[in-house]
Parts: sequence; structure tokens; C-alpha cells
Amino acid sequence: MIRTPLRPLARILAARSKGENPETIERENIRLRHEKMRDKSRARAEGRLLVLAAIFVVAFGAIGLRMGAMANTDPSEPRGTASSAPILAQRADIIDREGRVLATNLEVFSLYAQPPQMIDAERAARELVRIFPDLDGERLLEDFTGSRKFLWIRKKISPEQKQAVHEIGDPGLLFGPREMRLYPNGSLAAHILGGASFGREAVSGAEVIGVAGVERMFNDYLNDPAEQGKPLQLSIDLTIQSALERVLYGGMKLMNAKGAAAVLMDVKTGEVVAIASLPDFDPNDRPRPAVKGDPTDSPLFNRAVQGVYELGSVFKIFAVAQALDLGLVTPFTKINTRGPLKWGRFKIRDFRNYGSELTTTKIIVKSSNIGTARIAQMIGAERQQEFLGALGMLEATSFEITEAKGGKPLKPGNWSELSTMTISYGHGLSTSPLHLAAGYAMIANGGTRIRPTILKQDGPQFGERLISEQTATAARVMLRGVVTEGTASLGGVPGYAVGGKTGTADKPRERGGGYYDDKVLATFASMFPAHDPKYVLVVTLDEPVETSGAKPRRTAGWTAVPIAAEIIQRVAPLLGMRPEVEPGQLAGITLTSN
Amino acid sequence: MSYLEYNVKSVPTGLRKILFLNWPLALLLTAVASVGFLMLYSVAGGSFSPWAAPQMKRFVAGFILMVGIAMVPVWFWRNMAGVAYGVSVLLLLAVALFGAVGMGAQRWIDLGFMRLQPSELMKITLVMFLAFYYDWLPMKKTSRPVWVLIPVMIILLPVLLVLRQPDLGTAILLLAAGGSMMFFAGVHWGYFTAVIAAGVGLITAVFQSRGTTWQLLKDYQFSRIDTFLDPGSDPLGNGYQITQSKIALGSGGWTGRGYMQGTQSQLNFIPEKHTDFIFTTLAEEFGFIGAISLLGLYALIILFCVSIAVSNRDRFSALLTLGISTTFFLFFAVNMSMVMGLAPIVGVPLPLVSYGGSAMLVLMLAFGLVQSAHIHNPR
Repeated sequence: MIRTPLRPLARILAARSKGENPETIERENIRLRHEKMRDKSRARAEGRLLVLAAIFVVAFGAIGLRMGAMANTDPSEPRGTASSAPILAQRADIIDREGRVLATNLEVFSLYAQPPQMIDAERAARELVRIFPDLDGERLLEDFTGSRKFLWIRKKISPEQKQAVHEIGDPGLLFGPREMRLYPNGSLAAHILGGASFGREAVSGAEVIGVAGVERMFNDYLNDPAEQGKPLQLSIDLTIQSALERVLYGGMKLMNAKGAAAVLMDVKTGEVVAIASLPDFDPNDRPRPAVKGDPTDSPLFNRAVQGVYELGSVFKIFAVAQALDLGLVTPFTKINTRGPLKWGRFKIRDFRNYGSELTTTKIIVKSSNIGTARIAQMIGAERQQEFLGALGMLEATSFEITEAKGGKPLKPGNWSELSTMTISYGHGLSTSPLHLAAGYAMIANGGTRIRPTILKQDGPQFGERLISEQTATAARVMLRGVVTEGTASLGGVPGYAVGGKTGTADKPRERGGGYYDDKVLATFASMFPAHDPKYVLVVTLDEPVETSGAKPRRTAGWTAVPIAAEIIQRVAPLLGMRPEVEPGQLAGITLTSN
Repeated sequence: MSYLEYNVKSVPTGLRKILFLNWPLALLLTAVASVGFLMLYSVAGGSFSPWAAPQMKRFVAGFILMVGIAMVPVWFWRNMAGVAYGVSVLLLLAVALFGAVGMGAQRWIDLGFMRLQPSELMKITLVMFLAFYYDWLPMKKTSRPVWVLIPVMIILLPVLLVLRQPDLGTAILLLAAGGSMMFFAGVHWGYFTAVIAAGVGLITAVFQSRGTTWQLLKDYQFSRIDTFLDPGSDPLGNGYQITQSKIALGSGGWTGRGYMQGTQSQLNFIPEKHTDFIFTTLAEEFGFIGAISLLGLYALIILFCVSIAVSNRDRFSALLTLGISTTFFLFFAVNMSMVMGLAPIVGVPLPLVSYGGSAMLVLMLAFGLVQSAHIHNPR
């Protein structure tokens, strides 16, 4: 920048020579310089003012436009949808094998309050108590007039109740849609379905989560939006389940039992067609777990799946089948049954004295503990353990309800020779009735492992082969013999050739060793028809007493067997089986067609 | 350039000053305040108590205060600027130490006849003191780092005190007003660019860090920021006021529901309806036309103030007037944006309309200063 000097020498000299005051030149120059500076700062200030004006205009414009846009919108009530992650309301149905609904959803409303919006809190509280008499009016008023901004009043209300609340007309009382899990069949298949409750809750809906049974096991699947509400199909058949539960309930009452369980299973697929545990509950109003008392006596306890018991003589057939398969015995081998069989301090006795020796078949038919123990001695601990393990008797089943994991068999810590002998007739190893049904299904289907399932299957699901076809057939002949001439003589159902094995196990005392002598667990494991089994049925009664005779009778033959027979009689036609004439005495072997 | 350089003889003296008052501006202020009386009467359900009557008394008192201040030569106020700033800072400190706690924040000093909110006073005295500073400072030093640092300190001291109360709205207002004062005074562009760039960079860094391993804030802090920036995501909690006021604005439509016919405000749906959210009542009852008219009145006030500033040859007066009009502008722009959901909710009242003593008196005091600058402008 070129600065003009304040006192330019040339001009001052010239002025002096003219006799003028040189100060005026300097003053003039200072004035000019100041003017220039002022111009510069004014230019700058004008630039800044322009920016200010631009900001003002933009702000006014934005506010004005926004005003116009908002004036142009229709007012809409706020919805609480965005307040939390969206909650999936649509939970898939559960249906039975024929497509009948076992569990579905019902649309109801929740009722909540926003006290800041309330006009007349006192009246609202008073009217609410009139509609819901169990509400505490004083507390409600306290909540409404306090500092709370939100509170739930009811989680589920009916349309009538909703209308009544609506008529109070207070803007602080609001409704939210929600879905409730409904089990239209009430307590039917309660233990399988389990139940559901609300998980995360919001005014826009609530998440339904399964708390037990298949509802819990398949919770993620049922709530998975990717499945688009595709129903979950179970292997259960509603009509058969209903018939089985009804007969079992009547039988339990008749036999004065405190509990009962039954499993009906397809022997080729492992599908459980019906399964029941009594006493039961209504999953629509699932009771809270009891705090005191024995949890295994609770209605919530699934005796068929969770309960593990020493099931008794029903296990004998596994020892015999293994011995037959190993070639250790034939059905006609004579076994020493002279009792009591002493093993150290321990004595094995039979229910009745069966003489000095019995054939293998007769050991099953008469249910000789001594004979079975001697066969088990031939097999040995190692092979027995291996066989029962392969049969799935030593671990929890893979049955698809949450409770199945709890049904873990209790096995001896040290599998001694004595254990081998007692386990062969069903003591010392505790399993669930479902384990037993799966074991019998193996014998029934010709010797292959079966894994029980609650899901409908497309066809046979044969597992690994455990015994040969011939052995299985021979075992079935023996089981048929139990019904025709043995301990299960009340189990005959004309036209359905029932075969099976009874088991009457003394219940172990809760504390200390030993067994009760007046409390038993009576079990009948059966298959029908014995010559070509389609289904296995296991019925277990807890502490039954049959009192029609002179003396109270507790054995399975008098308690579980007649109930099983009644169930078979009722459900076999429903299963689509026609009564048929049993082919020949040696069923299965001589089965021919002409 | 100071007033001393001009011939002060052309300034009116004595009662003649009243004639030189900027009467159109005074009229505009009265008009805006009257809109406030109308609305306060309406939200009280058609009653002068509890809000409209005290507000009117305060406006009259404020008007007298304004005229009184306008009579005093502006150079007196220039010399008082330092004292005013110091007293305001001391009052802020006093509030921090023994102020009354109201609405979860410590903001008032109870003077017996009124509750004084020193943060309101601070808005004006800060502008005054900065105007004085830049008038005193030789112009060529304006952009030197040391002379830039001093006003930054002057601004940050009250801002931090106000933030402690906590009163985010006022703190932002003070920061913005102080910043614009520096801008008008001619501080070099580079400083503003640097500060803005640093601010934007910091915010971007914080948000970029979200979800990465070097996350700068905790998750809950992020979610608080989320609801602060978008209250609509929590319509029943933080966003309650804003949703309700949006309903009010929407239901007002173009022409409104009519005076005293607004359902939202009459039915008590809107909290703070007589203070920060009074604009919703106006928008609902008089619609877009009413709302844009109020905005127009505000725009006219700003226009008058800016023209006073531009025509003023005294640097202190010009800067003071510009600063006050900016503060006034920030007041209603932030309040309206907040009510309409354009800005997060910070407690800023609608100037001259919202119910509140401190704000009203302080604003009238500020316009008194503007009038004084106008009257004592050398002609």
C-alpha cells in the first residue's frame, strides 16, 4: 500500500515560498487519511451487516415456512410406537397333527393412565373402582395426583370393560392394543403347551413369551417374524389326547392314586400322539409355582417327562431281550429261580415263590426278580450299561419341551454287579415314563432306537439297530404272554392283541434308605397289536390302592393294567385301527398272508 | 470513533428528548406486549388473574423504566457498562451460592418485591460491556490474538456460571449474543471460521466414535443426546410438551379456532402454557395468520433497531443497538423453533409475551438503552 506522506516536502516548500501555513496541508492530509480509514471500516461493517441481514432473513423464512407447514397438517394424536424397539405382537399358533388349534392369540386391550393429562382424577379413580372392584381407590387417586407420568392400571381388559372405561371420558385414561395367548381347549395337553406370559410391555403392545412346555422351547420360532406366523404343528392328536386324559383321570380317581402319567407313542416315528400328567392345570391361568411342599406333587410338575422313578419290573424285558440277542439264553432256557437270591447282605426275593426254575419266557410272564437278576449276571455290568445307554435310558430325552431336560435319569454312582442285578428288574435306575415308552417302542418296531418327539414327522424315524428282528419278535411274544396268561391278565382288549409288562415298584423313602411297603408306583408298559405293534402306551399311577376286594391291592396288574386297557379300547378306533383276529399263537413269526 | 469527536450540541436536551424518542418502536413493543396480555387472559380461561393483570402492571413499569433510561445520555451508560457487567457477574455468583431453587434449577434471588433472575440481566450487561470494550479498543487492534482473547473471557465467565445453574438456554443465548458482538465489531473472519470448524469437528468426532472401540461418550449419554435432539422419539416423556404443541399448531390451521377456543391450551394439555409455550396457544387460537402476524411484529422491531444502529454515528451506540436486537432476535427465534420442533427444548421465553417479570423488565431496560442511543445520536 502506498501511503501518502502527511508532510510532503515539495508541497510544504512550495507553500512556504508562497507564505501559506504548511500546517493546513498536514491537517488536510490527516483528514483525508481518516476518511479513508472510515470508508474501509464502513465497508467492512456493511459486509458484516449484510451477513446479519442474511441470517435474519433465513431464520424468519424458516420459521414462517415451518409455521405454514404445521398449520397445514392435520393434528394427530401421538402414538407411543417409537418409544421403544418395536414389539412383535403376532405370535404363531400351535396346532395339533390334524391342524386343530391348541394355542392362538386373542386381541385384548391394556389400560394405562397418564396423570398429567387427567382432568378429574378423583372421578376417574372412583369410576375405575366401580368397573374393577378389586382396585384400591385410594392408592389409585394417590398415583393420579402424584408426580407419576404413567402407570398401568390393567394388563388385559375385555371389550365390555374397555367400553365402560371409555365412558368415563377422561383423556388421561388410555388403551393399548395387545395380544393375549389363548388355549381354547383349557387344560387339555397343559403340560405340553406349558403357558405364556408377557415379556417386554409397552402401550403399543406386549411381547408374548413362553414360560414352559413347547411355548418356551419354541419361543424364538413362534415369535420369529421371518416365519410369518406359520403355525407350529405338534404330533399330539387333540381327540386322542382328550380321550386319554379323561380315562386316565377317571382311573386315577378309581384307584385312589395321587398322580398319574400316560404316554402314547408311535413306535416307528417316535411321535408322541398323546401324553398326560395328572394333576394338571389350565395354561390360560397358569398357577404360580408353589413355594412350599414337594415340587413333584405340584400340578405344574410333568410326571411323564420330568419325573424320574424306579419303574420296577417293566425293565425286565430289556435284560431278557439283551440276553436273547447276545445268545446267552433262548425263550426256553431254564433259569434257577430258587429264592431268596443272596448277594452279600442283600437278598433278592420274588413276589411269590415260583419254584426252583422257570423258562426265560415264564420269567417275564410271572415277573421273577430272581430269574431276571441271574440273566443280568450273565450279561454283566459293562454290557448292560452299554445297552441301556444305547437305548437312551442314561440321559435326558431329546423331547422338545423345556421340562425334558429336567428328566435326567438317576443312575448308580458305582455300577456294581449288585446294581446290574437290581437294575435288570427296575430298581437302582430311575427314568421317566417317556424313557420307558421309547425303550418299548424299540422292541415294538423290531429293534431300532426311537427318540421321542413332540413334532409331527413325515415318516418313520428309525435310529440305530440295537437288537435283531428275531429277538424283538421273541420279546414281543413274551410280552403278549404277560397279558394272556401272566400278571397283566386284565389288560386284554378284544381285537387289539395287547402285549406288555407290569411293574409295581415300592417307592423309596424320602429320607434314609429303604422302601415304603404301602406306597407303590404301578406301571404298565404296553404295545398293540403285539404281533405288529403300531403304538406303545405307558401308564403309571402314583400310590394307587384298589379297594374293591377284601384286601387293598396295589400291584400294577390290578391298577395300571385295567386303566391302560380302557385307554386302548377308547383310543385304538380313534387311531384308525380296526379290531382284528390275532394270527396264530406264535404271533409275528407265523404271520403270513394268503 | 467516539462521540467526543462530534459536535454534541445538536443532541436534544431536557424534556424535548421525549419528542425524539423512537415512537414507532415504542408502539411496536406495546403491540407485542398486548398480544401477550390477550394470550395470558385466554390461557387463564378468560381471566385477568393470575397472569394477565400482573403482566400488564409489569409492562407499564417497564415502559416507564424504558423512557427513564432513554432520557439519560448514552455516554453515561457507556461509562456504566463495566460496573453493570461486574454487578451482574456478582449477582450470578450470589445465585449460585444462596439463590432460591425453582423448577429444579437455581436461578433467582428473592428481593422481596420481585424475584430477580440475574441471568436475564446478564444478557443485556454482557452486550453493553462488549460494546464498551470495542468502542474503547483502537480499531486496528481488534483482530490481534490478545485483544480477541479478552472478550472471549468476558463472554465465557457468565456462560459458565449460567451453565452451572443449570440453564442451557440462557447459556447458548449469551454465547451467541457475545459471539455476534465480536463479529459486528470486526474481529477477523478467520477466528470465527476456526471456532466453527473446531466445533463441527468435535461434534463429528463424538458422533463418529459411536459404536466403535474408541467411543468418546457412554451409551446412556448418547441416548440422552438422542432424546434431546429428537424429542419426538419419546412422546410421553421428554417429548411430551413438543408433541402437544405440535397438535396445537396443527389444529389451529390457517385461521385458528378463535379466541379462547383452543382445546389444547384450554384443557391444560400443554405444560408451561403461560410461559415458554404460550406461542402454541396463539397459533391454535389465531392460526397461521395470527402466528405470522406476531412474527411480522418482531421483524419490524428488529428492522427499527437495525436502522437505529446503522444510522448511528457513535460506535458504542451502534454496537449496543445491534447487540440488543440480536439478543431479542435470538430470544424469539429460539423460542419459536423450539415450540415448532425445529430446535431442542431449552428454556427460552417468548420475549414480551411469555409471563415473567425479570424477562419483561430486562427487555424494556434494553429498549431503553436503544432509545437512549437513538435520542443522543448526534445530528
